[in-house]
Amino acid sequence: MPDSDQFPVKIEQPAQGGNIFSRVFDELTAFCRSRSLFILHYCTGCGAIELPPAMTSRFDMERLGISPMVSPRQADILLITGYVSVKTLKRVMLTYEQMGSPKYVIGICSCTVNGGMYWQSYATAKKLNDYMPVDLYIAGCMPRPEAVIAGLRQLMDKIAAGKANGWQDYYERYDHYLGNQQRLFGETWQTPTDVIAEARHYGLFGPETLGEHTKLLQQHQKPLEALEMRLGLGAPEKVKP
Amino acid sequence: MRAENYEARNHPPSHEFEINFGPNHPGIEGNYALKVRVHGDQVVAARADGGYLHRGFEKLMEQRLWIQNIALVPRICVPDPAPMEVAYSMAVEQLCGLDVPERAQWLRVLQLELSRLAAHLFTFGGHAATTGMYSPMFWGVADRDLLLDLFEELTGGRVYSIYNIPGGVRRDIPEGFLDRISATLDYLDSRLPDYDNLLFTNRVFVTRAKDTGPITQAQALEWGVTGPNLRATGLAFDVRRDDPYLVYDQLEFDIPTEQAGDAWARTLVRRGELQQSVRILRQVVERLPSVEGPIRAPIPNPLAWKVPVGEAYVRIESSKGELGWYVVSDGGEKPYRVHIRGPSSMHAVQVLEHLVTGARIEDVAQIMFSLDACPPEVDR
Amino acid sequence: MSDARLPVERLSIILGEVRDVGVSQRGPRRTRLDVAADALPALLELLKGRAGYVHLSAISCVDWPVDGQFELVYHLWSYELNALVSVHTRIARDPGVYVSVYDIYHPAGFFERDIHEMYGVFFEGAPDMEKFILTEWDGPPPMRKEFDSEAWVNEHFDWQDYRPDWLLELEAQGGGIVTPPDEQRFSRRGITESDDES
Repeated sequence: MPDSDQFPVKIEQPAQGGNIFSRVFDELTAFCRSRSLFILHYCTGCGAIELPPAMTSRFDMERLGISPMVSPRQADILLITGYVSVKTLKRVMLTYEQMGSPKYVIGICSCTVNGGMYWQSYATAKKLNDYMPVDLYIAGCMPRPEAVIAGLRQLMDKIAAGKANGWQDYYERYDHYLGNQQRLFGETWQTPTDVIAEARHYGLFGPETLGEHTKLLQQHQKPLEALEMRLGLGAPEKVKP
Repeated sequence: MRAENYEARNHPPSHEFEINFGPNHPGIEGNYALKVRVHGDQVVAARADGGYLHRGFEKLMEQRLWIQNIALVPRICVPDPAPMEVAYSMAVEQLCGLDVPERAQWLRVLQLELSRLAAHLFTFGGHAATTGMYSPMFWGVADRDLLLDLFEELTGGRVYSIYNIPGGVRRDIPEGFLDRISATLDYLDSRLPDYDNLLFTNRVFVTRAKDTGPITQAQALEWGVTGPNLRATGLAFDVRRDDPYLVYDQLEFDIPTEQAGDAWARTLVRRGELQQSVRILRQVVERLPSVEGPIRAPIPNPLAWKVPVGEAYVRIESSKGELGWYVVSDGGEKPYRVHIRGPSSMHAVQVLEHLVTGARIEDVAQIMFSLDACPPEVDR
Repeated sequence: MSDARLPVERLSIILGEVRDVGVSQRGPRRTRLDVAADALPALLELLKGRAGYVHLSAISCVDWPVDGQFELVYHLWSYELNALVSVHTRIARDPGVYVSVYDIYHPAGFFERDIHEMYGVFFEGAPDMEKFILTEWDGPPPMRKEFDSEAWVNEHFDWQDYRPDWLLELEAQGGGIVTPPDEQRFSRRGITESDDES
């Protein structure tokens, strides 16, 4: 797969000494994970119109164990269906960081690969894996439901083999991804998620996690503000901390 | 979470909250956001927030040749792409003075009405899902898939057909296609009683949809509401009849209206339109074999095609309302200005804000789906 | 309900009340009116109140940098007459300020907001001039003719590395791509002078 050339494929290695039980358990876990996936149906673009046919009775994704989920906290796969406009990409980054690991990203449609039909557009992001690691691309404009299901099956095989580890690359090379995000969203870009602490938690903190861009992030970090009414309609009530 | 945020904060009790029906939300049709301020269960203020699907179509179209834009144009409205293609082609034809052959016009009507059927079936499912009924969505999407099969057979594309070019359509119907359309229409007619039982006369749905998001006739005319939403207030205005294009003046069809102007009335109007589209399609299927002729008017070399100076405003009745296209040419090989006015420009922004204010929070999603607001049209 | 007179004839009754309106009939249901910028709101009120053009279909803005003007086009539809009137006016590009017609036509709120963020035209008296689509955009108004979308894209985004094996093999043997992708781009036709007409 082309994307596996861009970041090192890390297969969860069994512990030294090759405890047969832990190996079997890991394989069983990977198998079960691959058969019970929740997709976060965030309709980011045009390709979302071919998701309902893929999910409903005719093409039936649910027989593969894949079901839609509304909350990112409980979803496994982030489906980027189609082009991502810059405004959407900010929310997609927030959503991606809110998802719990292990998580997988599928870039559906050609727009996620290299800009697709909107390559000249000032408002869409061209290369999705500049901003987050992508495990699988499904090309098409837009891909048929059968193509979507075939792609999902490939992802399931990849998960069962223990090779779908893009989420680890986000922690290992956070500085690179953050740099691209700052280039697009500005230097003051920050999310509520503390990715560096999570990297330490998962044991994925590496030499490329910190860098000049994370320094910029720490410079601009400010604590969460008290929630206040922002609609500006009628008498706003300010909630004091 | 960062360590400095692990503090207990004492929030004074408040009845008012601001909630973001944000872009990642199953109650929002597409990728769109609606910020509401609620007082208990009641929405007191609302603000629409779009732009999540913005691609800069109008700018993109200025940078591509007239013929290259054909591939770009259906993507402006995702559930109902055919009116966009037809509108662009009609605008270019008006600028060039091209006469579209009659057979091509009948084929365009075929494509438009099939697309209208598909869009309405999709909308029924979405609307029902906001009231908690998920079966109509499965039925609607499955039946819509049969229409997408027809599209695929005719044009090669399930959703984005790219079937029209200025001057006509790109290919003629295959062998036996009209029989397959008739079979599908018979099937849809036979399914309508099932839909009635499940959805349209279902007490749960009727109770939820009645008196939700009501629009009066005066409000509809003032706010610029068009399409099925306008017909649900009692005004029988339809671009196909008032500003006829293609061969609609040769077709017989009624314009269903309702009086109440609420979500229930809008649903009934769409159901009526579904029946009328089936009626139109049957007439097309009957007439088409006797309409002879080419399917395309001759156009110059598309890669070096300079369209004469001028402007055109094309109005088409899409499944969501009045679709307006304003195309300006300065005599060059690329459009000078294309302005697309989708019906949802009104419905998803100002009308939605007006209707949601004062509604209950559980009806916010239903109001948006009952207006059939399509965010890609708003954002372009 | 239908009036046998052409819309132009019906309009001539009220057009006498506004000075210097150019009229041309563009089709059975399409009329074009050209009016000076300061007379437009009065004309719109007459069209809505007296001639029955109650529906504002769209407000379009066309950028004419050569003339240094923006052209604003108001498309009005009458449900009684089944006719469309497009009222054209020109404003100077440099201050790019005009008056809002929101109190005449409610849909103008959306279109004026759209034109404001896309072209930078400010409508005085509009209820809401905040950005709607381009809330996270910090560049120039993108629909203006001097904004080069492709140049912006090349500056702010990267492209995928395209280094397939077959190309690497060719380059190892001394071959490769002859015309670089930038020069092959059809989209730059008419923009750079070195492109030849085909």
